[in-house]
Amino acid sequence: MVRYLITRLGQALVVVVLVTVIAFLILHLLPGGAARATLGKEATLEQLAAFNHDMGYDRPWIQQYGMYVQRLLQGDLGYSYQLNQSVVEAISQRLPKTMVLSLLSTVLAIVLAIPLGVIQAVRRNRWPDYAITSLSLLAYATPIFFMGLMLIILFSQVWPILPPEAPQGFTVAEVLADPAGLVLPTITLAIVTIAVYSRYVRSAMVDNLNENYVRTARSKGLSERRVVLRHTLRNGLFPVIALLGMYLPALFSGALVVESLFNFPGMGQLFWQAALKRDFPILLGVTVIISIATVVGALVADLLYAAVDPRVRLQRSAS
Amino acid sequence: MSESTGRHTPAAGGVQPLLELRDLDTDIALRRGTVHALDGVSLQVMPGETLGVVGESGSGKTMTALSIMGLLPPGGRVSGGQILFEGRDLRSLPADEVRRIRGVRMGMVFQDPLTSLNPTMRIGAQVGEPLRVHERVGRAEARERTIEILRRVGMPRPERIVDNYPHELSGGMRQRVAIAMALVCSPRLLIADEPTTALDVTTQRQILELIDDLREEFGMAVVLVTHDLGVIAGRADRVAVMYAGRVVETAATTELFRSPRHRYTEALMEALPESAIRESGEHARLYSIPGLPPDLSRPLTGCRFAPRCRHATDDCRTTEVTLSAGGHQHACLHPVPAGPAAPVNLPAPVRVEAVPDPARPAAGPGEPAAGPVLSVRDLVKNYTAHGRGLLRRTAGQVSAVAGVSFDVGPGETFGLVGESGCGKSTVGRLAVGLEQPTAGQIMLDGTDIAGLAGRERRRMHRQVQLMFQDSYAAMNPRMRVDAILAEPLDIQKVGGTAERRARIATLLDQVGLSRRVLERYPHEFSGGQLQRIGLARSLALQPRLIVGDEPVSALDVSIQAQVLNLMRDLQRELGLAYVFISHDLSVVDYMADRIGVMYLGKLVEVGPARDVVRAARHPYTQALIDAVPTVTPNAAAARDGMTIRGELPSALNPPTGCRFRTRCPLAQDICETEPPLAGDAHQVACHFPLRPESTAASAPAGATA
Amino acid sequence: MTTLSEAVRPGAAPDQPADAEVPVRGLWRQGLVVFCENRLALVGLGLFVLLAGICFLGPLFYHTDQVHTDLTAVHLGPGEQGHPLGTDGVGYDQLGRLMLGGQTSIIVGLAAGILATALGTIWGAVAGFAGGWVDSAMMRVVDAMMSIPSLFLFMLLAAIVTPSVSMLIVIIGAFAWLGPARLVRGDALTLRSREYVQAMRGMGGTGGRAVRRHIVPNAVGTVIVNATFQVADAILYVAYLSFLGLGVPPPAANWGGMLSDGLADTYSGHWWLLYPPGIAIILIVLAFNFIGDGLRDAFEVRLRRR
Repeated sequence: MVRYLITRLGQALVVVVLVTVIAFLILHLLPGGAARATLGKEATLEQLAAFNHDMGYDRPWIQQYGMYVQRLLQGDLGYSYQLNQSVVEAISQRLPKTMVLSLLSTVLAIVLAIPLGVIQAVRRNRWPDYAITSLSLLAYATPIFFMGLMLIILFSQVWPILPPEAPQGFTVAEVLADPAGLVLPTITLAIVTIAVYSRYVRSAMVDNLNENYVRTARSKGLSERRVVLRHTLRNGLFPVIALLGMYLPALFSGALVVESLFNFPGMGQLFWQAALKRDFPILLGVTVIISIATVVGALVADLLYAAVDPRVRLQRSAS
Repeated sequence: MSESTGRHTPAAGGVQPLLELRDLDTDIALRRGTVHALDGVSLQVMPGETLGVVGESGSGKTMTALSIMGLLPPGGRVSGGQILFEGRDLRSLPADEVRRIRGVRMGMVFQDPLTSLNPTMRIGAQVGEPLRVHERVGRAEARERTIEILRRVGMPRPERIVDNYPHELSGGMRQRVAIAMALVCSPRLLIADEPTTALDVTTQRQILELIDDLREEFGMAVVLVTHDLGVIAGRADRVAVMYAGRVVETAATTELFRSPRHRYTEALMEALPESAIRESGEHARLYSIPGLPPDLSRPLTGCRFAPRCRHATDDCRTTEVTLSAGGHQHACLHPVPAGPAAPVNLPAPVRVEAVPDPARPAAGPGEPAAGPVLSVRDLVKNYTAHGRGLLRRTAGQVSAVAGVSFDVGPGETFGLVGESGCGKSTVGRLAVGLEQPTAGQIMLDGTDIAGLAGRERRRMHRQVQLMFQDSYAAMNPRMRVDAILAEPLDIQKVGGTAERRARIATLLDQVGLSRRVLERYPHEFSGGQLQRIGLARSLALQPRLIVGDEPVSALDVSIQAQVLNLMRDLQRELGLAYVFISHDLSVVDYMADRIGVMYLGKLVEVGPARDVVRAARHPYTQALIDAVPTVTPNAAAARDGMTIRGELPSALNPPTGCRFRTRCPLAQDICETEPPLAGDAHQVACHFPLRPESTAASAPAGATA
Repeated sequence: MTTLSEAVRPGAAPDQPADAEVPVRGLWRQGLVVFCENRLALVGLGLFVLLAGICFLGPLFYHTDQVHTDLTAVHLGPGEQGHPLGTDGVGYDQLGRLMLGGQTSIIVGLAAGILATALGTIWGAVAGFAGGWVDSAMMRVVDAMMSIPSLFLFMLLAAIVTPSVSMLIVIIGAFAWLGPARLVRGDALTLRSREYVQAMRGMGGTGGRAVRRHIVPNAVGTVIVNATFQVADAILYVAYLSFLGLGVPPPAANWGGMLSDGLADTYSGHWWLLYPPGIAIILIVLAFNFIGDGLRDAFEVRLRRR
């Protein structure tokens, strides 16, 4: 287990380093680079050169990357051209709110997706399965913002019970103080997640229901309910924990769209506005931070899976 | 055992059967049509008796067990008849009641102990679950009783085992857990579906004996479902033989084995390699039942065995035959005459007419003409393994093969036997050059294959070919049979298009397949047919040696006989040498001229097949032989002989000296030094061989020192 | 010994293989049969053909001006002044625009999906065949790129370069290859250890032959199936980028962009600007998902063993 932990941590560290390299390369190796993008098409060569010199972009890449990492380790992600505040400051204001939104919708998704997936697996190839599968596919095929808009039309126009805009609070507490405003963004983000998770749960459950140990459990005269809940569900859900980690990037991508649609003051919205204004320090900073969050999330999910599932726990400790 | 035989005949007045099946029909709905898995199955199980249900795959034996337990796969349902348990029809009782009966009054043990236990539940929770559910017993009491039942099935340290997970136990131990689980509520009936098929023979013996002991202890009845006639012969009071969804014959065990009446039962017994050896020595040809069992999704009339039966007449194909009355029932219009006088009424197997191939003077077994085709010297193969914990990262080496030497002469069959994990398959893979040895030499026709590279190495592969256990897995599913058979010729750049086509046609003739197979894909064939195609492919390059890794282990007895006969015919025609690797001693005994016995990476005994099997010198070989269930009606013999206890040690840290010493009943201090493989023709690596070599050949079968 | 599949395996004619009644059919034919048995797959194929037909052939029969704005005919409702689906805020005919936008969406989706699959296949195949530290290094790169949420990556790039149709294809293709790369690598690793590859090596065959004759033909199914899902995803990505303001600039159009523009009209009641592109996107994405599911069954040879 310790060995597995160390290996897994090492892998995560390598991935984080690579993420910074990729982000760095994207910004600095593309034609024109940050200078052209920041100063616009009309900028003269002298202006570009001056900008590059100021930012240290005229030095060798290795050196630039070294400087970048050095600053990163000191918690310095640069200074926003547009917001007049440091990137770290901007992110630390927004990140918790994005986490709240992601967490709420993930919890909602898990709570709904598990029973749905179980029903599908138990009633597989019958109408409840087909119905839920069709709805899942429909949800998956609908662009999130279109889905969100339909919900807005439905619940704040046709049947006005919920506000169409997310809470505009500055802190997490302020955001949570307006729960009604959180409902639609959370549901919108959760719907696709439910579609994906319920398919995971369904296939994990179907696989498990076909296992021999289920037949053994039935041979003990257990009720179908007990077979599903006590035997299959546990085994089916363990791997789903690891899948939660793998789904994080998609979740954050979804949050980006949902925050933009509902004007939710989170990290996605920050990123969106920065992209429209070509605010590169913010873009780069958010990308790196959100990626690290993904890596850490996936790591936690993996370790949790290894810790709770005896199959993995013992196998990993043996090898 | 023998005294219990005939204790309960179905007609015995007064005693009510514990379980009675009346005209049971079971259907399984699949995407394409419905399979009538059981058609009018009637059986009786008396209290306290063991009923053996025997049949090949597709015979319905497992479906019968699953129908009784209500565990049919999706799409399956019992569509007619009655399941009377203790006088009540399970089909007409409410579902909750039936579930309770199945949980408390019946127990079932399944085939594969590795997958039949819930991997994420502790042993104690699984075994005690029926108590908690059906008897509403408290947690502490359930634990007590679980420990008790685990002790009774022979688990060492049950107090600790209850807190383990299944994958921390070996296969044999897991099967004990499964038995404990089935018995925890003291059922009246135990159904064991192929309980030992996935286990090694020595473990199989332990488990079968355990079931026997527990039956007496608990006074319960046992239904033992198996494909292995030998397992039944030693253990059951009565036997029901099934074929294609029907019971074709049922009788007391001794009676059935002494004089089978149904032509299918008769043919099945003749197809066993051990019958052929017993009747006419190891050169007899096996009786092979032609063809395949019928497709149960089509309407069938008449006797279902008729299309494959050599005694069938027109009325067999049109008349529905029902079981005859009496103690020995059969459903055959032309039964084997009941011969009370004949002790073992097996018709003499077809003898081999020794037709020497004029073109190729085959070197007869035992008289190697030239040098050996394959010569293995001090072969060693280690695999690196990762150790436990942080500090032993580059831990041990798994010693898969540890200094094995043997020769195979031209036209000879060398049998390699041993239990799983003994390294026999690794030897095979090394011999065909699929893996590189850690040390030692492999000489093919006198050339060391280690020194070969490029073109020479490619040519080396013409000399020796591998034959797989699962030919389906060994063929690219996206290639047609013509491409599969042409591939070796293509790789070795043999001949032009026309030549190759002619060669493939010859190959098909040799393995007895029609040209039509060429346009088809592997998934369209049955197991026996695939094995023929695999053999044809191995022969394409006209090798001198074929290494068969469990080539018939996945096949039913009747199909196995077809393939074994074919292999022998080809050997005679082409002068092939075989290395025949198998866990099944009776098959190796039948096929091999000489046998090598492996244990934990070492060759412990090598000698002429007859000597090794009839007069083993190594205690392990003897234990292996004694553990193999035979159809010899002398069931009492099953209890005697050498028994080994305990578990196979890990190959990561094998015992020093003689690797068998940790389980050997004869082990002494000297066994900590390694015994050399000593002797002339019949060599043994043991400090205390069971017999001297000289007397070996004449020693009577079954005797132990 | 007796699994379900064995218990019910149909017996062929005695001793002679594969009963004569079953006609000889190639694997592609058999696959086609399986595909056609999947009703949803046929529906998907039909939808795709229908939508693609309307978008690419429609303009030949239904001529509209999609270059010049017509400020005298803005926000016309469906049916008004000969515009079956009305006009948008600058006077483009909505039906004609749907056809034009559909062309972009389908072209970008197909091209990006195929590009991503091709890149991923090469990367994954190299990693899988090479094995060892090369494999580890290549897969860590995939891990790293996968931990950057894709929409963030696309936006980062879209903010640097000005998006055009070809640029969108390159951007999406350049970062959507990670999934196929993982998949193909996994396939390569398992296929490499299959017994039929060992059997071939036992005949003296080389690694190159294993790749050509055994691994590639068996991995092709996975790749093609995955490509259809990639196309569906790419169409959605284009929609998201358009929504986030980084899609193709007018007068070019795509369904995602039209849908995003339509959002602004939600409150003004111009529903014909919102629902048609939304439904079009849903249908085309569903179509590719259905086709992918059907293809997955069709490529599964083992499925046909029963």
